[in-house]
Amino acid sequence: MTTTKSTRKRWEGIGVNLAMLLVLVFAMVPIFTTVLISFKSEQDIIRKPPNIFPCDTPEGFKWSECRWSVEGYQRVLAPKPSETSPLGVAITGNIPRIYIPNSVLYATATSLLVVFLAGLSGYAFSRYRFRGHGLLMTGILAITGVPLLTNLLALYQMAATFRKADLPFYDDRLFIIAVYMGFYLPLSVWIAKGFFDAIPRELEEAALIDGCTPVGALLRVTMPLALPGLAAVFLLTFVSVWNEFIAGYLIIAKNQYKPVMFGLYDFLGQNIINLQVIAAACILIASPVVILFVFTRRSFFRAMVEGAVKG
Amino acid sequence: MTQSQSSYSPSKPHRKRDWLPFWLILPTVVVLLAIQVYPALYTVWLSVHERKPAGWTYVGVDNFRRLLNMGLFKESIGHTIIFLVGYASLTMLLGFIVAMLLNRKMRLSGFYVTLLFIPWIIADLLTGIVFRLLVFPDYGIFSGILQNPALFPPDGISILTAARPKPWFGDFPFPPSPAMIYLILASAWRALPFITLLLLASMQTIPQEVLESSRIDGANGWQIVRHIMIPLMLPTLVVALFSLTLSGMNGIGMVFSLTGGGPGTSTEVLSMLLYAIGWRQLYFGRAAALALLIAVINWLLITGTLRFTRLQERSIS
Amino acid sequence: MNRKRILLTLLGVLALVFVVAACAQQPAEQPAEQPAEQPAEKPAEQPTEAPAKEVDFVTWYQYDQNNEDPKSDERVGNQYLRDTIPQFNEAFEGKWNWVNQPKAFDKMTAELVAAVQAGGDVPDLFEMSNTQDMVDFYRHGTVQDLTDWAMAQSWWNDLDASAIEACKGPDGKLYCIPISIRPQVVYVWSDRFPDGFSKTPEAFLEDSERLKAEGLYSMTFFGSTDKGGEGLTRAMWTIISSYGGSLDDGQGNMKLDWPETIEAIEFIRHIVQQGYIPEIAFAGGFQEEEAFKDASAGSFPTGLFGYRYVNPLTAPDGTKYDTGSAEDMLNAIADGQVVITHSFAPEGKKPGCGIDVAGFVIPVGAKNVEAAYDYINWIMSPEQNPAWVQGPGGGFPALKATQEHELFQTPFYKQAAEAVGASACRPWFGSLQRPNEAQEMVMQVIYKLIKEDPTLDIATELQKVQEEYNANN
Repeated sequence: MTTTKSTRKRWEGIGVNLAMLLVLVFAMVPIFTTVLISFKSEQDIIRKPPNIFPCDTPEGFKWSECRWSVEGYQRVLAPKPSETSPLGVAITGNIPRIYIPNSVLYATATSLLVVFLAGLSGYAFSRYRFRGHGLLMTGILAITGVPLLTNLLALYQMAATFRKADLPFYDDRLFIIAVYMGFYLPLSVWIAKGFFDAIPRELEEAALIDGCTPVGALLRVTMPLALPGLAAVFLLTFVSVWNEFIAGYLIIAKNQYKPVMFGLYDFLGQNIINLQVIAAACILIASPVVILFVFTRRSFFRAMVEGAVKG
Repeated sequence: MTQSQSSYSPSKPHRKRDWLPFWLILPTVVVLLAIQVYPALYTVWLSVHERKPAGWTYVGVDNFRRLLNMGLFKESIGHTIIFLVGYASLTMLLGFIVAMLLNRKMRLSGFYVTLLFIPWIIADLLTGIVFRLLVFPDYGIFSGILQNPALFPPDGISILTAARPKPWFGDFPFPPSPAMIYLILASAWRALPFITLLLLASMQTIPQEVLESSRIDGANGWQIVRHIMIPLMLPTLVVALFSLTLSGMNGIGMVFSLTGGGPGTSTEVLSMLLYAIGWRQLYFGRAAALALLIAVINWLLITGTLRFTRLQERSIS
Repeated sequence: MNRKRILLTLLGVLALVFVVAACAQQPAEQPAEQPAEQPAEKPAEQPTEAPAKEVDFVTWYQYDQNNEDPKSDERVGNQYLRDTIPQFNEAFEGKWNWVNQPKAFDKMTAELVAAVQAGGDVPDLFEMSNTQDMVDFYRHGTVQDLTDWAMAQSWWNDLDASAIEACKGPDGKLYCIPISIRPQVVYVWSDRFPDGFSKTPEAFLEDSERLKAEGLYSMTFFGSTDKGGEGLTRAMWTIISSYGGSLDDGQGNMKLDWPETIEAIEFIRHIVQQGYIPEIAFAGGFQEEEAFKDASAGSFPTGLFGYRYVNPLTAPDGTKYDTGSAEDMLNAIADGQVVITHSFAPEGKKPGCGIDVAGFVIPVGAKNVEAAYDYINWIMSPEQNPAWVQGPGGGFPALKATQEHELFQTPFYKQAAEAVGASACRPWFGSLQRPNEAQEMVMQVIYKLIKEDPTLDIATELQKVQEEYNANN
């Protein structure tokens, strides 16, 4: 009896492990193959039938004979010898030179602002009951149902009007940050409210009794406790802005202000048929957020769960 | 700080408090009015206008009428339904299974989980490109296997070009084309981590004793899932389903870069049609009309979910 | 502890942002904006006030002067801009400063329409790659009437009459300036057709059967519905027009159910179903070119300008043309491996072909129309005209004087001229006034008929589409 039970358990354990391995394979195969393609040379890309590893020789398959190549990355980065740069080479590709820095700027600025605003209003929604509370919360949720493409016609018009007004200090970068804020605030407010709900009210009340102003209590007691949650909001917004394509493409007029997904699209238009170059561009563009994610995954997971379970 | 606090009379913070939430929420509301509400109203205006050489002309419900007369509009509603049902059910099913696996294994290596969740942060535009690279006719890494007639009789399958089967139910595009199935698979690949995490979080709130006692009562695995886990996780399941449907309805990046609506029109979903009408054929009025229809469907989904979750909460408490 | 870590990460990210932004922004801004920005902000508003300062002249091209990748698909156009921007700025020193804004080729039309409607930043000059866009521009009130100005110019009388015709809007006024005439031709691997490319559909079927027996395909074409149905313009129309078919009734209505059109679609369906066309022809994204590059498909109907995109090449005898540039196709033609010819046509009919015009439009709301005029006149000059026609234009000169230029005496142009001379070329959209919409609808139904469901009745399906289109007239 006991032996059959333990063997069954063992088989079950093996089964679970196998299944988990399978899941991992499903998740990783597309990424792995893209990395593989990005390191192939053109002659191995245009081969029929395709080979998985570029290592076949007339004598058969040899690991030592693999034709790995960084041609794809070279064409994305377009390094050129330069005397002024400290490394001796300057990166001249549009993606690393213009679009990635742009997106870093937009994603960071948007996320900081969203965290700030969502923190304030999330706190208000969580701590106060006021007239129109439920209506406002539902309204904010309803906004998430508007397809992004719908708003673009109007936003395009607004961007053009602002440009014409010739305001000092204004350029499309300010507007696109505002647009991204508008896109990602609704969900962030709900997430932030969820986090504040989880913080006991008593702590604040104690602070108030100790003589703090409500704002003081918010800044000194509640905010620090909510920080992990707000960090999660930051990360979620950062990734969303990074991955956004169509608004950045249509709203910004000048190419040197456009974000990275446009950069990829633009790059595709000029390199339709070179799979290794496209793969290399994909890897380079995805890697910043992947690295960010690997370092901050705990906050990430929390944000996803909080946002969705509570919302 | 301390000085200013001493000057407050006890009643003052109370009075201040009433206005505080207003000031806290104001900036958010201003941003949303400018970036979301105003454009939405503009879209309503646009949906009853069309551009003529002379300028914007009021055309009444003409845009909606023309939309309904469009063959592709009706067809793409069918594609959208198939995509949403396939995408949501596949992701939910896989997500549930993976969550159960993860739930069983208490000690998970952080490395494993991290790898598992990377797909979720890859942009949909990138995901489409990557999945397209894999099955390029003749050149994609998987094309060799898929196009092999011995494995997939009679001629092998070329995902991006294979014709869809003859529809079974009149005009409704079922069964879907291989490209649609592949599109669903790619979308599920990207959404799976999120759904898994969501379901896992909810699963972990089920008390172990409940599961143990039912097991002692002789319930088998399926019965436990069916009669204990699903009812207890219902609110989360609904939320997950809802977020899948919304993202599937509004997302365009994946279709855009993976199939572009093709082969033929077999993956032309509503969001793709919106793009085609608005930004390719340049009928901004008609595009606005379609956008409104999509928004209405979304809102029905949202209110339905809200009502359902509230109902559940009430019945539980 | 956890909180600390998050704070640290956030700080780290912030620091990274500022480092990246600081490092990358500087080199990014200097080269890109130096010509663009300095005078851009203010002088555009008051161009008359500061005559000494140069005024920006803004263009939209699908090419990017800053992309120096020698293997980029658009290297020919990119290089052209890199070469001529300094030339123009030198010729108009103290007056105009040419600033080009590169645009995605498949989105620039929509972007211009939207920009004009919103009163946004419109360029002073727009590179128009086909006349069907001009018809859509007309419908949206996007472009300026150029009739009076153009007729007063010295080059007017030297322009090809058909090119002028192509630039006329439905109201008979001139809305674009034609520079380059782009016909659709057939590229053929001569070894795959030892007796020359098939003259009739029947002969083509025989050749196809012979090639199929060798495991080869007789033709590849843009068969997908991708890119807004461009396959219609690039390939389908060549065969349809060779059968004498049309897509309109001459009155602005769509009429697809001409017997000739049905016959042509029947033929295309046949060659697709018989397996004479490789599967990759239907994959979209210009993948159909691959089958011609490795000579697995013997012929390839496409635009004349296609030569620059289709490379590297491997000839049937194994000869490789792999510089990865436009030279590959030109060399293969010079060697006689590839020939440019016209389509086959049924007995007693003249082969058809699509014809298009590339040139310029001036958008409504352009700030600097004078500069655009100067630029067009500059491009029409004998020194500049040939280079534009060969570079961005990728076709034949619309100016008769330029046709004599030595650039157009190469085997490539001679063969092309012969092919076009032997055909009756006309724009596919005829009298249709919403060509971009029509293109998408027609290509979708053709795809359905030839590839997706070969059992469907051709006439019935075509009628459904034309009714839907005409209901919106």
